[in-house]
Amino acid sequence: MKIRTPVLLSALAAAAIFIGGAAHAQDSEKEYRFVMVSHIGSNDPNMNWLTMSLAEFEKKYPNVKTEYISTNNYSVQEHVRLLEQAISTQPDGIAVPIVSSDAFEGPLRRAIEAGIPVVAFNIADGRPEGERIPYLTYVGGDEYLTGKKLGEYAVAQAEAGEIPKPTRIVCASHDSAHQGLKARCAGMKEVMEAAGAKFDELFIGAEPATARNTLQSFLQANPDTNYIFTVAGWSSPWAWGVANDMKLDPDVDDKGVTVLTVDEGPVSIEGVRAGHVLATNSQGFWLQGYAPMEWLYWNKEFGYAPQSDILTGPVIITKDNADKWAELVRGVFGDKAYDEQNTW
Amino acid sequence: MKQLVRSQGLGAIIGVAVMLAAFTLIDFSGWWTIQTLANVTQFTAILAFVAIGQALVIMTREIDLSVGSVYGLAGVAFITLEPALGVPGSFLVAMAMAAFVGVLQGVAVVKGQLPSMIVTLGGLFAVRGVIYVWTGGAIHNFSADARLHPLTRLFGGELLGIEAAIFWLVFVAGLLSVVLWRMPFGNRLLATGGSRESAESRGVRTDRVKIWAFVLCSLLAGFAGILTLCNQPQTHVTLGENMELEAIAAAVIGGCLLSGGRGSILGAILGALIVVSFRYELIALGAPSSWYITFVGAVLIVAVIFNQKLARFLGHSV
Repeated sequence: MKIRTPVLLSALAAAAIFIGGAAHAQDSEKEYRFVMVSHIGSNDPNMNWLTMSLAEFEKKYPNVKTEYISTNNYSVQEHVRLLEQAISTQPDGIAVPIVSSDAFEGPLRRAIEAGIPVVAFNIADGRPEGERIPYLTYVGGDEYLTGKKLGEYAVAQAEAGEIPKPTRIVCASHDSAHQGLKARCAGMKEVMEAAGAKFDELFIGAEPATARNTLQSFLQANPDTNYIFTVAGWSSPWAWGVANDMKLDPDVDDKGVTVLTVDEGPVSIEGVRAGHVLATNSQGFWLQGYAPMEWLYWNKEFGYAPQSDILTGPVIITKDNADKWAELVRGVFGDKAYDEQNTW
Repeated sequence: MKQLVRSQGLGAIIGVAVMLAAFTLIDFSGWWTIQTLANVTQFTAILAFVAIGQALVIMTREIDLSVGSVYGLAGVAFITLEPALGVPGSFLVAMAMAAFVGVLQGVAVVKGQLPSMIVTLGGLFAVRGVIYVWTGGAIHNFSADARLHPLTRLFGGELLGIEAAIFWLVFVAGLLSVVLWRMPFGNRLLATGGSRESAESRGVRTDRVKIWAFVLCSLLAGFAGILTLCNQPQTHVTLGENMELEAIAAAVIGGCLLSGGRGSILGAILGALIVVSFRYELIALGAPSSWYITFVGAVLIVAVIFNQKLARFLGHSV
């Protein structure tokens, strides 16, 4: 597997065209080259989930070469530029997150029309099926189910007497325009309202001091709130800290406030292990690297095309499986990075 | 009183009085609680540091859009460098980095004859970019030992149930008020913003004054970032995002004129109090929290109109 930066990409493009041509020339040997054009750069430890899964894929399919292309200075324009450069190298398949349907539509339609199969990973084209980019399939999580499954777990724990029954839940979001975060809140809302709890969505912003101030104001004005759902893992310590400062007993027990969060990062997992957070989730990052490659391979080899999206998550992480997840994430992030990012 | 009228702090005092009267009428039991006041004053103190720095720059007829990023950079540096340098060492380096940004921007504005809005807009992006690249998107933790360090407790602890940030604000604001109203630098600062030509004809080195204003602004923003993290060390790369807008709003609500030459430390603090109080009360009254920014905008416009009318009523040219 190759990991490429945009600096090298242009220079390698011509060579890759040649290599691509060579691969086509060797169709009888069925050698393939698949490219993942990602939005996750090497400055984000989550990249390791994807690159490690690609390396694992290459072990299983030695006749396939995979390439991981990304940038550390992310912008949609830069992502589109990388995508177009990757397409110009005529790979045998492309995996790409649909960060912007509008921006990606042109290059991806051209690639598909040129016979290059495309799999969307991590972020799907959110438009109705007839309007979206005609990629093979989407491999990734489902934001609505993330909120819903976490809510169902919380309600089950409440019914078992492990935590208080929900009276009012606040979904604390750092981005009021992010449809994925809204979907997480909507999933939670459905479960909580069915359980008889009031539900509020609160825009706390991403700035830590402002977020704490906002959440504290809400909790003071709505003292019946006993569940806080933070739709980003990194904001869960803020929520816990605010509730703790207000002496609302935010640890996981049968009284006080209960905190729920998302993501399989060190903050979320260690929050669960420390008893600060009831549960978090994984969207199956590793599979989001591996499964698109398999589908590209099967499509090239046998013409297979899945008839629906392939969901890799959510997997609910609780005190029962958090230790295993911690071990797994340590393996991906490395011990040093894992410990440094545990901000509890 | 004379100074308040001269500096336009009077408008902010009237604004706070009106606001408190309104909140008392609307939500007496919710507003006048120890928890509410503790919440509002703590976050007011943090924003006030940044707003005071902004006020100093605005008084010289410039503006600093980079304060939110500098606030974030100092905080991130403080936490990230702590394992290698210890709490005192990382504090000093973080403050030095903030000062460096201030010097750089001040020199670019003064020597490069560039608009401060453009220079500091560049600073906003550049410094935020440094944070992203340096941290790789994830801020380090602050060790248990570092959290218990005496310096951390001095900046982030509490005394008699009152947060340290509030004591620091009183101390720093008092010091800067003395500098502004009792020392030559204050006169030079206001003269530079009021009429540069006139100030220079009287021997004021306006270029140095402006550079100092930018340095003080960055130092105050950096100090606010460190105070925040000493109190609550769990943070993110978004530390300080959009804080520049709140700081400018607070300074202007507090009586600073963007045309320079007028403003006050007390006004900036009261402006920050108004901004934070509105956020609290809107949420307490059940308004969607995203409305807050709309109300800040409305309050900002009303405050500017009110401050101008008040100044004219009192016989000052604005």
